[in-house]
Amino acid sequence: MARDLAIDLGTANTLVYMKGRGIVLNEPSVIALNRQTGEVLATGREAWQMIGRTPGYIVAVRPLRGGAITDFEITERMIRLLLQRVGVSRFTRPKVVICVPSAITEVERRAVTDAARRAGAADANLIEQPMAAAIGADLPIDEPVGNMVIDIGGGTSETAVISLGGIVALEAVRVGSFDIDAAIQNYVRREHGIAIGERTAEEIKVAIGSADPTVDENQAEVRGRDLMTGLPKTVVLSPEEIRFAIEDVVSSIIASVIRCLAKAPPELSQDFLVRGMYLVGGGGLLRGLAQRIERETSVPVRMSNVPLEAVVLGAGHVIEHYEALKGMFMGVRR
Amino acid sequence: MTWVIVAIVVVVVLGAVGVIVRRRAQGADGVEMFQRQIDALSPEARRPVVDQVQQLDPDADDPDDRDDPRGS
Ligand SMILES: Nc1ncnc2c1ncn2[C@@H]1O[C@H](COP(=O)(O)OP(=O)(O)OP(=O)(O)O)[C@@H](O)[C@H]1O
Ligand SMILES: [Mg+2]
Repeated sequence: MARDLAIDLGTANTLVYMKGRGIVLNEPSVIALNRQTGEVLATGREAWQMIGRTPGYIVAVRPLRGGAITDFEITERMIRLLLQRVGVSRFTRPKVVICVPSAITEVERRAVTDAARRAGAADANLIEQPMAAAIGADLPIDEPVGNMVIDIGGGTSETAVISLGGIVALEAVRVGSFDIDAAIQNYVRREHGIAIGERTAEEIKVAIGSADPTVDENQAEVRGRDLMTGLPKTVVLSPEEIRFAIEDVVSSIIASVIRCLAKAPPELSQDFLVRGMYLVGGGGLLRGLAQRIERETSVPVRMSNVPLEAVVLGAGHVIEHYEALKGMFMGVRR
Repeated sequence: MTWVIVAIVVVVVLGAVGVIVRRRAQGADGVEMFQRQIDALSPEARRPVVDQVQQLDPDADDPDDRDDPRGS
């Protein structure tokens, strides 16, 4: 008998929740392929380690990067491998609930559910990430009050207002923490004349990146390739210059939060002042970001205690109560 | 002639009754389904998932340190 599954198919990380068991898989959403034969060489953490370090014939990619499905075929193979790894076969046909960025198109949604069905799912349904996050973060969404969730992931930032089990207002942008990495890469190239890889840029972000000045700020030493000489070179980066480098991305994320606040009905807006907004997603861990959103919106911001797992836990709850909650799937609501 | 009119009236009445009964049933279905959904989203129903959150949370043993989204 197959155990039903909930999958958070994130642009940066993939998590799988198995009914009755909990989280059984948590790894980067990366797949490494042989460019010539199209053969899959690695997935998950192993493939992640290859990013930017592969010989010409291997390519390590994030098929969902940017919150859109850029390559349907690779996405389908990733879903198939994922289901195989957690024990799904032709004989065990589980029900599957998949969380996807709400910004994906109708065609992309169909591609994901079809892929899951072809890979052995008896039934595949989708749920919006912020809805799953609100369930996982234990917000009182069963009550007629305004619950606001901000999910900042790798490729997307989604803000939603939820009341009585439904989405009242939603604002999703295809901007996320990957764009912060890219901004750091561009800045270092432009201002210091060295090239760094995306994984190094991510390390800089996590080590010294911030959205607002904070106490105990440190500098970081970064090694890359000098663009003029081609030789390895070390430069020192300060937190202020990284703040400057990522400012455009940070402010566009905050602008989308503000647009969502503006869309909420006035009756629910009052609730935010008391209850605050809830921040989830790895991108929300950027130093000073909660503080900065709070300052610019005058609404208190609370950080989830499980920012990276809230979405899959929420979807897991839906799979545990499948019959009662199937009205919450994307495309089912009237 | 009269029996034709009687037959038409009977068919119309039966049809109307059928529609009303179906509407009522659907209404009850909607209410019941919504209630089930809300119940499944209640704090009690979500307890097992929330307990997992606490197992995952590194500083869960410090109750003062946790944010309580439900307020108090
Ligand atoms: N401490 C940290 N500070 C800043 N950024 C962080 C931190 N930890 C993780 N991140 C970033 O969070 C991102 C991953 O977050 P998350 O796992 O929520 O994304 P995702 O769910 O896969 O993406 P999406 O929701 O957009 O599909 C990565 O870009 C990572 O660099
Ligand atoms: Mg996510």
